[in-house]
Amino acid sequence: MGDYLLAWRNIWRNPRRSVLTILAIVFASGLLVFMLSFQFGAYEDMIDSSVRLSTGHLQIQAKGYQNRPEMHKVIKNPDRLLGKVAALDGVDAVTVRSEAFALAAGARRSRGIMVSGVRPDVERRISSLPGQIRKGRYLRDGDVNVAVIGALGAERLQIDIGDECTLIGQGRDGSVAATVVRIAGIFKTGIDEFDRTTMQIPLSDFNSIFSMEGGAHRIVITTKALADDRPVAAAVRMMGEASGLTVLTWDEMTPGLRQSIELDLIGGIIMYVILVIVVAFSILNTFFMAIFERTREFGVLMAIGTKPFRLVKIMLLESLAMTCVGLLTGMILGTAVTLLFSYYGIGMGESSELMAQYGIADRLYPRLSPLSIIIGPAIISVVTFITALIPALKIVHMRPVAALRG
Amino acid sequence: MSIVEVEEVSKIYHQGKMTFKALDDVSLAVDKGEFIALAGPSGSGKTTLLNLVGGLDLPDSGKVVLDGNDYSKMGDGQRADLRLERLGFVFQSYNLIPVLTAAENVEYILRLQNVEKAERIERVQSILDEVGLQEKHNSRPDELSGGQQQRVAVARAIVSNPAVVLADEPTANLDSKTGEKLLEMMRVMNEKRQVTFIFATHDKMVMDFARRIVSLHDGKVAGDQKKDE
Amino acid sequence: MDLVIAWRNLWRNPRRTLIILTAMVIGITSMVVLSALSRGMIDGMVDNAINNLVGHIRIQDPEYRVDPSIIRRITHPQQLLADITPLLPPGADIARRIKVDGMLGTSREHVGVIIVGIIPENETGISFIGRPVHQGRMINPDESGDLIIGQALLERIGARVGRKVVLVSQNQEWENVSRSFRIRGTYRTELAQTEKVYVFVLLPVLQEMLGVGEGVTEITVHLEQGKSGKDDGLAELVSALNTKIRDSGYIAENWRQMLPAISAYLEMYNGYMLIWFIVVFIAMGFGIVNTMLMAVYERMREFGLQRAIGMRSSRIVRMVMVEILLLLLFGSLVANGFSLFLIKIVFGSGIDLSLFAEGTEMWGMSRVIVPALSLWDLYTANGVVLVLGLLVGLYPAVRAGRFTPVEAMRHL
Repeated sequence: MGDYLLAWRNIWRNPRRSVLTILAIVFASGLLVFMLSFQFGAYEDMIDSSVRLSTGHLQIQAKGYQNRPEMHKVIKNPDRLLGKVAALDGVDAVTVRSEAFALAAGARRSRGIMVSGVRPDVERRISSLPGQIRKGRYLRDGDVNVAVIGALGAERLQIDIGDECTLIGQGRDGSVAATVVRIAGIFKTGIDEFDRTTMQIPLSDFNSIFSMEGGAHRIVITTKALADDRPVAAAVRMMGEASGLTVLTWDEMTPGLRQSIELDLIGGIIMYVILVIVVAFSILNTFFMAIFERTREFGVLMAIGTKPFRLVKIMLLESLAMTCVGLLTGMILGTAVTLLFSYYGIGMGESSELMAQYGIADRLYPRLSPLSIIIGPAIISVVTFITALIPALKIVHMRPVAALRG
Repeated sequence: MSIVEVEEVSKIYHQGKMTFKALDDVSLAVDKGEFIALAGPSGSGKTTLLNLVGGLDLPDSGKVVLDGNDYSKMGDGQRADLRLERLGFVFQSYNLIPVLTAAENVEYILRLQNVEKAERIERVQSILDEVGLQEKHNSRPDELSGGQQQRVAVARAIVSNPAVVLADEPTANLDSKTGEKLLEMMRVMNEKRQVTFIFATHDKMVMDFARRIVSLHDGKVAGDQKKDE
Repeated sequence: MDLVIAWRNLWRNPRRTLIILTAMVIGITSMVVLSALSRGMIDGMVDNAINNLVGHIRIQDPEYRVDPSIIRRITHPQQLLADITPLLPPGADIARRIKVDGMLGTSREHVGVIIVGIIPENETGISFIGRPVHQGRMINPDESGDLIIGQALLERIGARVGRKVVLVSQNQEWENVSRSFRIRGTYRTELAQTEKVYVFVLLPVLQEMLGVGEGVTEITVHLEQGKSGKDDGLAELVSALNTKIRDSGYIAENWRQMLPAISAYLEMYNGYMLIWFIVVFIAMGFGIVNTMLMAVYERMREFGLQRAIGMRSSRIVRMVMVEILLLLLFGSLVANGFSLFLIKIVFGSGIDLSLFAEGTEMWGMSRVIVPALSLWDLYTANGVVLVLGLLVGLYPAVRAGRFTPVEAMRHL
């Protein structure tokens, strides 16, 4: 305890200097806690929005469907799998979707569109789309010959709620598929691409229009937590019913999303490491000064029999104590600010329009997690430890006689 | 038997291109319980000799033996251990750790020796009382006068029951009255505990107190005079 | 004289000065280099967007943006071209196109595409389709049955160069018209999504197929300049064009109006950079203050002595401020040199992000980021350091001016 006491008192020998040093660490660690929480929050939002809107956490598909989605590549008996998957640990919900490309025609305009057959009751639970209806209503179980369409698609086709829309496409067997649907609702997700090209109709309609004969293109699974995706995928792959099918996780279906998160994170970490190194050099002088102004003192301590290693230890304790005070204060402040913003959110201002294209809401909510609290301070403690070590090791080479002379 | 043996010791300092022979073939033997002053003007080599006796530095030739331990055969760490167990130091100034109280300064050396807490407290209390600082146990160095600071330094040098206390100009920063009191106290310690005291000094008063004066001049022993009481 | 003294004082403790200079050099370099990299990234995004058949200026029917169909066309583009050409700066390239929704069908399936009718020789330097093809060859003006599709679309439909496909679109009578084409070549772009959407045929062929005579849906102007920071005058040019063509009923828009999302981000971008600069400055500001405080406390006696012999405290403050100014100037000089070295030499050929190709694509970024140093970034980074540096430097300087002779003499 003696050395700890000595180190602690030495810190307050020059309060101004120590406070400035600690503040530098408070600033860096607080900022990093906030920034990482902010980034992690945005990542989670992006993943969640993508998962909710399109892919789900996991999908089961026929082999080859992901790269070349063709009508005939179906899961032949989706219902048996559905029941077994729903019973797995970690699975939140599971549903079936099928898709076909069709020519959609309004009164005059026509254009190609992706028609998706869905189960409205399950979609309400797992998809964000039902909540993004801007006009009319979402599909209901028991609906026949109705559809919901993206706002931009509706605009292009010049159709509105209650209007009829003709769909012409190719069935699973290659036969011509044609029907007329009535628009029940128009959705707007903010992702232009999606709003322009997507239409949903009830799965039962879809199956009969496109002659699916019980087959389905995708079994979409959402898990209770993001981290459950791989365990559930592994469990599904073990099932006999899944043989001949592929199980894909969200990041395999949207590799761009995962990569852009990685890219952003790497970029962020590089910036933070640079910042921490700048802070480290900012405080290096303090650590040097703390040693040089006490040379005589070290001389006396060495004369009475203190070994240099012990003095190194005392100096490191001193630097580490300052770092710890700074880190803790920074973590508390960073956490407080993060909590504040995670309650109120951060407006993205004029960037929100660009962000919307990637499913990012116009207010971002930082999300505090053990990881986002720990990573920044961990980087800082490693770097400051090295920073403290450089001057402290100078003591090893100090000779008592020279030190006593000051 | 001698507690300190210095045999044909030379020490050369290099300063830039200049070399300076601080000690030139010096031999000296000090017996247990002596109260001895190394006297001489500044630059005569007395501090250098004291440092060699303390194992803070090594000679270029010759050997220094403390209590049977030949420094030249020991590593830095072993010499530090030997200083911790067998030596006490009192310097001219900046003796004390400014952030520790008088008691903590004295206690620090016992901590280095891994003495039990209860025993530490007891020994610190009694030695501080012995050097006349009953009221000042919890004062920081900057709250103590120069004389009081040197008393704490002596208490720290003595508390670990060393064989030899080395004192480099301990009175130089004190007025003569304070210095005399300090020296008296050290004499009492010397007699009561049979601790050897070696001073490096050019203070006349220290020489008056000493029972043996070794005069150094230009790095050589110029005289060795024992006083009989 | 003051400068010489200040300079020497700075180097009284070389290690200390070097340490704080290192902090400053790393800090300022990171400001300049990272801003150049992210500016390069943004420029890449803008370029990709503009080259993605947007152009710097586009003239079209005002209704076309919400209803991109062939009825919203420019019926007599020649007249319009004659009107606008004199107004354009030298080096401007013009292309006429038809862009309509359609479907591409193989024997097995249909996919939605955008059919673009082009005059191939006009596209050089304007858009990605003006670049060399990836597979096969470019369509010739005398081969009316050929088309170019994106490499990603070719793979998606499992076809090969030389195969026939059918294009379907609507003519102005709202009838579906279809025609068979042979895939003559494929193109590659930065963005696979683009490759999956656009298919190119000859403009006259598409005009004939849709029955629109000379009509086109857009006239695109590509200017020589036009990077994010350097397009002053674009808005003026567009309004001059609009005045000229007002009677025609068509409108000209610049890319900022056509790409509102990216433009909005660009507007915010300088703000983001400024925040980063200030954050980095704060990190080194603590060091600057602490180092200068150490330096003045060490010289307390000296300052006290100068006060004692009659120097005014304001003069001492000034001396210390000059020292800080020199430190800041020297630091930013070294940092800027180092930054230029990094930007021009080390990262000169760009940073390859191919490992994250699908990630960069999602954001419309290029796979290779070439740093683009902008003067705004350079001035702002250095300005932040100098201004804020002098501001925080006031603390140690004023402290030095407050040492009284008595206090100073008592000090060790």
